[in-house]
Amino acid sequence: MKEIVSRICKWIDLPGAVIIISCAALTWLIGCASNKKSGELAGGTTLSAAEKSGAQLWAENCIRCHNIRSPSNYSPAQWDVVMMHMRVRANLTPEEHKKILAFLKAGT
Amino acid sequence: MVTVALLAIPYTMVAQDVATSPPPDYVSRAEYDKLRAEHEAMKQELEALKTAVHAMANGTAPVAPAEGPAAKTAASEGKQVVTSVPSQAATDELRQEVDTLKTQVKETFPGSTKFLVAGYGTAGFTARSGEDPFFDASFNALFLWKLSDRLFFEGEMELEFEDNATTINLEVAQASYLLNDYMTIGVGRFLNPMDFFVERQHMNWVNKLPDKPLAVYDGLFPESQLGAQLRGVIPIGPTKLEYVGFVANAPGLITAPEDFSELGMLDFPNTGNFGGHVAVGGHLGFIPIPQLEVGYGIQRSKVGPRDQAVVNVLQSVDFNYVSDSALLKGLINLRAQWGWSHVGDFVYDPDGSQGFGPLEFNNNRNGGYAQLSYRPTHIDNDIIKNFEGVFRYDRLNQLHTPVGFDEQRWTLGLNYWLTPSTVIKAAYEFDDKNGGARDQDAFMMQVAVGF
Repeated sequence: MKEIVSRICKWIDLPGAVIIISCAALTWLIGCASNKKSGELAGGTTLSAAEKSGAQLWAENCIRCHNIRSPSNYSPAQWDVVMMHMRVRANLTPEEHKKILAFLKAGT
Repeated sequence: MVTVALLAIPYTMVAQDVATSPPPDYVSRAEYDKLRAEHEAMKQELEALKTAVHAMANGTAPVAPAEGPAAKTAASEGKQVVTSVPSQAATDELRQEVDTLKTQVKETFPGSTKFLVAGYGTAGFTARSGEDPFFDASFNALFLWKLSDRLFFEGEMELEFEDNATTINLEVAQASYLLNDYMTIGVGRFLNPMDFFVERQHMNWVNKLPDKPLAVYDGLFPESQLGAQLRGVIPIGPTKLEYVGFVANAPGLITAPEDFSELGMLDFPNTGNFGGHVAVGGHLGFIPIPQLEVGYGIQRSKVGPRDQAVVNVLQSVDFNYVSDSALLKGLINLRAQWGWSHVGDFVYDPDGSQGFGPLEFNNNRNGGYAQLSYRPTHIDNDIIKNFEGVFRYDRLNQLHTPVGFDEQRWTLGLNYWLTPSTVIKAAYEFDDKNGGARDQDAFMMQVAVGF
């Protein structure tokens, strides 16, 4: 067991280990703090896409990579193209794609 | 007593008025009958109009409305009554106008395929110690076609102006087809799916700092692949599992470089696929909660001349946590990625003709970054909430390779977001190299616009 741990540590190297441990610790701290402060956030994490609104899915999925773009940025026809692009690039489920697109089109 | 009596007089008078006169909303029988007659007349008039309009719409001959008692009553009261419908000529003219308008509206339709030009542009300034400071600019145009509900094409072209020259690179040219809800196939040149930073974060309006991290960009992994990929996502309750698998041209192996430090490195834009090897790889990403994504990517191939090929393995782990925290009054963005590159034992310059061989070594390098940013989006101040602080640590370990040094950097940045996709970035980078190489601290600025 000790050998395995030692081999893994050697494999990921010291900076890698520091980064992994720091990220895990920070995530845990921020997650705990956020959940304690906001019950909504904690509740939101256990819902599936079918139970979430287009606005919620839009906020959750887009922000994972970049700032949220306003629905007024594009026309409904343009959102069709953008969302197809994002469905492929960001691996959106059909449910997420459909709901987010409907929300964006309604907001243009 | 007298005063009270005087004050009571007006109220007594008002009470008497109310008792003797009818209330203001009172309608007499005569008025009611008159209104009722008018109402009936209008109903009949409306029915006649409806019949006429219906006849016009159907293109049938107009029928003169019957001049019933309602019309006569209305006419006798001086009201204008429609007693005839427009002529056939007027109807034809109206029809022609509608047809013209229909044609004009149809001309504005985008057609069955939908096309969009998106992308981003940047302008930057870099002052690096030991080098002349310089400005640079670049423009990435992204062409997107939605050909049908299942077929999609994207092309990305990068135009960069640096060192008095404009370079053009084809970053992406990929056709994607949605096989089903959970599976998409893509062929062409696509961003490297095993490298999370390259695929999701390298765009300048998305990347939080003016430059890009060591190792994961323009370092250990290719930026794009030339081949085919199969990708999709599987929802598992509230969680999601993303997957990508690909086959592509394998990297080339640099065996006779102009610069000795490049010996044993991989040549990524291997468009000709010299050596004839195929790389196989993929990426798995897991999203347990909406704020968190962790992933692992791998690519394996043989590299080098066909008769002396050695194994190359590229691996990457990525971690991304983004949370809009009410407690911390802002948006926390924590990202990290670490990668490994292994090239097996290879004998370089076996006959000594290049002057340094025979030299046998395996080329193992690793590196990555961790980045934390915070933007106080919940602060009720329009200026402060657009500022964003960024800290990044990045590192590339390659001391035991012909490069001969490791490098690590600490970068502090401050961004100001003009719009959600327009940012002004300023950063200072502390550079630290070992192995006798010179440290190159840098001050950088960049304006990035996504559109």
